[in-house]
Amino acid sequence: MIPRFNSGRRNFLKFAGTLGLLTAAPAYAFDIFKVLDPEGTSEDIQKAKQIFQGTGNILASTKELDFESELAIGESLALEGFRRFGMPKENKNLQKYVNLVGNSVARNSTRPKIPYHFVVIDSPLYNAFACPGGIIFVSATLCKSMKSEAELASVLAHEIAHVCHKHALKSIKRAKFLEGVTKITTANMKGEEGRKFKDMIGGLQDILFERGLDKKMEFEADFSGMAFAYRTGYTPKGLVNVLRMLKQKEQAATKKGSWFSTHPPLSDRIGKCSHRMGRYPDSSSLATVQSRFNTYRRFF
Amino acid sequence: MNKFKLLACSVLCMLVFTFSQAFAQEKMWVSSDGAKLKADKTSSSATIATLPFGKELNIITLEKRWYRVFTSSGETGWIYRGKVSNTEPEKDEDDGEESFFDDLPGTSIQADASDSSRSIRGLSPEANEYAKSTKTPEKYKRALDNAMAITTEKREVELFLKKGKIGEYAQ
Repeated sequence: MIPRFNSGRRNFLKFAGTLGLLTAAPAYAFDIFKVLDPEGTSEDIQKAKQIFQGTGNILASTKELDFESELAIGESLALEGFRRFGMPKENKNLQKYVNLVGNSVARNSTRPKIPYHFVVIDSPLYNAFACPGGIIFVSATLCKSMKSEAELASVLAHEIAHVCHKHALKSIKRAKFLEGVTKITTANMKGEEGRKFKDMIGGLQDILFERGLDKKMEFEADFSGMAFAYRTGYTPKGLVNVLRMLKQKEQAATKKGSWFSTHPPLSDRIGKCSHRMGRYPDSSSLATVQSRFNTYRRFF
Repeated sequence: MNKFKLLACSVLCMLVFTFSQAFAQEKMWVSSDGAKLKADKTSSSATIATLPFGKELNIITLEKRWYRVFTSSGETGWIYRGKVSNTEPEKDEDDGEESFFDDLPGTSIQADASDSSRSIRGLSPEANEYAKSTKTPEKYKRALDNAMAITTEKREVELFLKKGKIGEYAQ
């Protein structure tokens, strides 16, 4: 809410200037408020302080969470992922293979320095999702319906892109738990804070397992994922192929909790990604790796 | 005298042209982890250097998906096009300077030849706290711990790409 100023333009300039200065130098913010209004009697300064505090909390909640804390959120969400969608496929070679495909792409992503972990889950849904911190789930049913390693790489690349862009965290930036939090420790997970943390994980489940991320984020992940696959050497057409395959399966498939319900309409994605292929004129000469994929396909 | 002036003028023009070419070099940045500068435009050629993420490169030419580049430290060689971008990559400070593929700091152990300590560490204390408070069954904790214990080493990725003839290993 923008406060009304009864002293007109001069006060407004004072307010705007103060807010601008404080936003630029947040570390000195509250000292400057004290200097400007030591008694705390100026209504304008107090209102500016309140607005600044709110802005600061939102900024802190998105910008300053360290990787370990991001991973702690991701691990907590991953536990719920198993509870909701099922256990990992019990085949070490298969899990290793998917981790190799995923990590090959991840090191050509925009966030190559964090470790990524990929899990194939024994789920009948056509599904894949990414937890903050780089834990990525993909369902055996989705993998089994693919025809090449390039297609698998494209789905994993899409999920890697969500991690790179921190889409899940951005979606819960207003969670009460994250207000002013820069590092999550067991100390700030007790009592009331613990309840807020659980609420935040609940919010993430609602977004990633039910409602889906913002459409713009999904399209961004599609485009970034195509770029990561291309940079690795896989044809980015893999994603278009998977989306077309899903379009064919859509009618008969379970929608709830799958890519069908948590992602934008397939026709929109196919249209946008097909258009994007114009950026990759040499895509037909890039790797699809069908034979190796086929040796693992029957184990999904 | 006129001939001398003409010659001096020509030399000057050549110098200006040469320097303007040098300064007009297209710049790119290393945007992949573990990118290698190769002696020739094939993955089997000698590795001149392993370039750090974010390193600025001057592009000389592009041939068959490989850029010929020179670095600020004076090295010239070839780099696969997938390893560079035409915008400077953002460095996420939270992710640290060390790559999980790099040698382990403070030890003589190479990341290539080691396992991460992940399987020993188990879940983070925070995730454990969450599991405790939500009465998460042990089997889900074990499932996640096993998933997180799968390590992917750099040499495995290289071998995997090579066997699949992917990217710089394509023929």
